[in-house]
Amino acid sequence: MELAIFQQAIKEYTRFRRLLPWLALALACFGLAAVWNRLDSTATVQDGYANVSFILAYRIIALASAIFATAIVGQEVEQRTIVYLLTRPVERWKLLLFRYVAAVIVVAFLGFVGVSLTSLGSYHGLFSNPLLMNDLKAIFIGSMAYCALFLLISLMFNRAMIICLLFAFGWESSMSNMPGDLYRVSILSYLQTIAHHPSNEGARMLDFASGTLSTNSMSETSAWLTLAILVVATVALSLWRFSTSEFIPKEDSE
Amino acid sequence: MIKLEHVSRWYGDVIGVNDVSCEIGPGLTALLGMNGAGKSTLMRIITGQLKTTTGSVAIDGLEPFANPEVFKKLGYCPEIDNFYEHYSGRQFVEFLARLSGMSKSESKARTQVVLEHVGMADRADKKIAGYSKGMRQRIKLAQATVHDPNIILLDEPLNGLDPVGRREFIDVLGGLADQGKCIVVSSHILFEVEQMTRSILLLHRGRLLANGDLRVIRSLIDKHPHQVRIATPEPRRTAEFLVTLPNVVSLRFDRADKALQLEVREPDAFYDALARAVLEEKLPLESFTSPDNNLESVFKYLVNA
Repeated sequence: MELAIFQQAIKEYTRFRRLLPWLALALACFGLAAVWNRLDSTATVQDGYANVSFILAYRIIALASAIFATAIVGQEVEQRTIVYLLTRPVERWKLLLFRYVAAVIVVAFLGFVGVSLTSLGSYHGLFSNPLLMNDLKAIFIGSMAYCALFLLISLMFNRAMIICLLFAFGWESSMSNMPGDLYRVSILSYLQTIAHHPSNEGARMLDFASGTLSTNSMSETSAWLTLAILVVATVALSLWRFSTSEFIPKEDSE
Repeated sequence: MIKLEHVSRWYGDVIGVNDVSCEIGPGLTALLGMNGAGKSTLMRIITGQLKTTTGSVAIDGLEPFANPEVFKKLGYCPEIDNFYEHYSGRQFVEFLARLSGMSKSESKARTQVVLEHVGMADRADKKIAGYSKGMRQRIKLAQATVHDPNIILLDEPLNGLDPVGRREFIDVLGGLADQGKCIVVSSHILFEVEQMTRSILLLHRGRLLANGDLRVIRSLIDKHPHQVRIATPEPRRTAEFLVTLPNVVSLRFDRADKALQLEVREPDAFYDALARAVLEEKLPLESFTSPDNNLESVFKYLVNA
């Protein structure tokens, strides 16, 4: 039963037409990484990779999480197929949890493709890139965190997609650049800590674009711990919310 | 099987279902009402999609909201025409069979059985996006019955079916009811319901107006005398006798058709007296009918009341 839920969600999320824009974005990462050092002759290969991955590849997981996590329940409600799922002898928490896992896997996969193509563009290879392994770890936990947060938002609010997109671009871009300790309220800051990318010496505009303007003094352990707590807490709240609330398409509830 | 006690459901300031109490047992029961009467709300409460604002619902003694134990015994065919359009009918039913706890091989075998049962086995491998309305209704019935539930609720299942398809669909539902299952069918089309069952639940503006056998309900509506039409070659002599019966309220000649139009109370007593008269008084009757002993009249009388 659990496998069926998971397989169905994966099948839904990996339809070619649905993946196409993400693969196009990942190719854009490759293209930008490939030309970065031509545009900025003073930058090292590592600088180019670090900037493109933070500016573009990490944004892919935030954006993809907003799309896929809000679809976990929202899409079923919107296309009114939720009724088939909610009238089956399966616990609601299982339904939500396995669909969440499927969304995380798809988002993480898209993130992996993004940084891998960035690496190919910059380093012309994967294994010669010393930052790649940390990026893969950061993308995986980042996918879990973004998806968990956006799933909860989608279960709490109408028009969740707008809120999630504002968070992914507005909040994440601005908060990670804020002075003092404000950067700690941005998921991106924790991912940057885990990724250990070098800073852009003196390049303030690039720091701003990549969300690394603030002085990040977090340890990697606290970054992992904070994100783990965020994931567990938001997923638990989502499971509770989904198990106790009514999910009827709006036009049917009047 | 299904028990509702003082069930009410509000949507903000609007009431969807108002103090409904009833029990629904095995056999085919029609949930009747005009659009907006509260049929779908009641269906959603019984199928555990909505909570009650007040009152309680029990399916074999269990509260249905988000209760997997209930959904093992319950199948639901919703009114909506929405599916995973890129799935084939077989994939759709198989997936929902697997969500019902069946293994992959079990779900395949069971899906084949129900697809044959609803007459879709030969077309089930096409994408749902290309299905006609009738095929979609059949697939919805297949998914509702794939886990062999004892209680099946169908919300407006005959919508969009052609006459042949409607007949076949009604036969399938009748077959399920004959197996002792509890089938509840909601509809606002009286003609369809009349073909299916005489056991009705009549909802109007959220309230349950009537519950039970159609004939019994009709006989209880004393405010409206029953219409009876009697065709006879001797209308004058027949009328002379009929006016002496205590149950006859009015009598009118229909000269063109050589028939009598009567209004009677206590129709069972009247029919007994009429049968005796035919035998004892040798009244030559050609036919008699009761034009308002049907669902439409009952519906009209109750709703207008």
